[in-house]
Amino acid sequence: MPLLTDLSAAVAAGKRIDTIRITQELLAAGTSPQDVVEQGLVPGMANVGELFRRNEIFVPEMLVAARAMKEALKLLEPLLAKAGIKPKYTVVIGTVQGDLHDIGKNLVAMMWKGANFAVVDLGTNVSADRYVAAAREHNANVVGLSALLTTTMPAMKETVRLLKEANLPNVKIMVGGAPITQAFADEIGADGYSADAGSAVNIALKLVGEAA
Amino acid sequence: MTSREKIQRALAHQPGPVAVDFGSTGLTSFHVSCVAALREHYGLPRHPVKVTEPFQMLGEVEDDLARALGSDCVAANGRGTMFGFANEGWHEWRTPWGQEVLVPAGFRPRVETSGDVYLFPEGDTTVPPSGHMPANGYFFDAIVRQEPIDEDKLDPADNCEEFKPLGAEDIAHWRREFDRVRGETRAVVAGIGGTGFGDIALVPAAFLKHPKGIRDISEWYVSLVERRDYIHKVFDFQCEVALKNLATFAALAGDTVDVLMVCGTDFGTQNSQFCSPATFDELYAPYYRRINDWVHAHTRWKTFKHSCGAVRPLIDRFIGVGFDILNPVQCSAKDMDPVRLKADFGDRITFWGGGVDTQRTLPFGTPAEVRAEVTERLRAFSPNGGFVFNTIHNTQARTPVANIVAMVDAIRDFNGPQP
Repeated sequence: MPLLTDLSAAVAAGKRIDTIRITQELLAAGTSPQDVVEQGLVPGMANVGELFRRNEIFVPEMLVAARAMKEALKLLEPLLAKAGIKPKYTVVIGTVQGDLHDIGKNLVAMMWKGANFAVVDLGTNVSADRYVAAAREHNANVVGLSALLTTTMPAMKETVRLLKEANLPNVKIMVGGAPITQAFADEIGADGYSADAGSAVNIALKLVGEAA
Repeated sequence: MTSREKIQRALAHQPGPVAVDFGSTGLTSFHVSCVAALREHYGLPRHPVKVTEPFQMLGEVEDDLARALGSDCVAANGRGTMFGFANEGWHEWRTPWGQEVLVPAGFRPRVETSGDVYLFPEGDTTVPPSGHMPANGYFFDAIVRQEPIDEDKLDPADNCEEFKPLGAEDIAHWRREFDRVRGETRAVVAGIGGTGFGDIALVPAAFLKHPKGIRDISEWYVSLVERRDYIHKVFDFQCEVALKNLATFAALAGDTVDVLMVCGTDFGTQNSQFCSPATFDELYAPYYRRINDWVHAHTRWKTFKHSCGAVRPLIDRFIGVGFDILNPVQCSAKDMDPVRLKADFGDRITFWGGGVDTQRTLPFGTPAEVRAEVTERLRAFSPNGGFVFNTIHNTQARTPVANIVAMVDAIRDFNGPQP
């Protein structure tokens, strides 16, 4: 449907007003809110992730696109809730204890939201206990840990250890942040590592067994 | 050859012994815990170290430690701090990690039972805090105090509150500082603040009691796309004030200063940039060019640009707008290989940093690994000058002192006996 393609393009370009207008037009035309999300917003945000990964857009443009997406979701989420439609996957995300940095964490959360994951954002300075409790409470598929500081990398290691010990067999652990590498992720036993927000969706999908 | 001559040769892209900076800026120094450990290691008098930069909790590199480390630079320090209080009226404070340090009079923390520590703008505990060090943390982060944004009422003047002419107290302070460093045999590095455009660390304005305008970090980045006219008006006002302040400052400093720290705006992330080259050209370049052109027309100073991250696609632009020095040369970021950086840009800009990775090798490696990496970087960056050794950004808390010493020893051995 051309309007769905238009919606994807409007979201990717961060055109908030167009995004709202097209979403309203799609709903008025009888398109289901689920289709608007899955065939309009999700491809648009996937394009944002790809452009970001290829250095064709940057953090400001990604934030602007995410804002457009959120405006559309404000219209769509009440309808989805009313219809009892929930996202297929739930992800918990936060910045580890001792670390207050959240730009990278927020970008990943936006991209996951844009992939139609249910996102539980625990914020910054999150203790291992809170990650474990949230993963259990929300029946999470993926838990994402972020760290910017070298001094909080040990907290990431400890959080991974406690998540592994918490007997949550269906939870996959993903890590990221400026000083984090694939080697560090492997060393601390994380299931996945994302070098940037643009790659975070595909890596999470692989972790839950979907071909990305 | 004096330390100052070593730096000047490096900045002139002439061969010679590798020049070194430890502690001349808030971007090339050590966490206060590392300073104390180094003083202990080198057998220097034990006393509480001054926290000269309370945001990152950087410690003062006093002259005796600078000599032990072989640093060729000295700072002419500004009066204020990131929290808006002056660096004066020192008193003792016990940090959460149990270190006795000296902090300025305005450093009036609120320590909660959780172990979280809060600091206040201008030391005024009657207003909301502007800095937060989480329990078990080692640094402060700015607390964003963003008032609700009404697009119709946004006024660029609200983001300009911090850009003011140098006042009588500032001028008196700089006179004292220049009296202190005049005649130094080390290179003098100074900065007056207000010359960097859009530094995200300064956007939340931890130094203001009631910041107005756009103070949320995400809002600021969004504004680079959606409110470009607003940003231009802020930068334009800031630039006018900065140019007047530079004239005042230059009249006081003269040739005492060798290097002017201009800007700490980060344009790089670990794997990318914060903006496209086109955005840099449109939004930032005109203002940088005005600052650098003024400095080069009126002084002998070299201008210092800090930007973390993978900035290779922007280095030609940094050179084009007149920057002489790039710091911290984050070789751990994407496409920042030291050999390629030197080959492609080394004759046109001085790399001030890049000496060792503070994300991995220095904090987590062995002394042998540190030595090997430092030696490799010295070989890559030092030929034909254009290089001042420094770690990649400040040395972080919990870095083993043996690793820092291994770095210092490797530089000394590389340089060989000095006359």
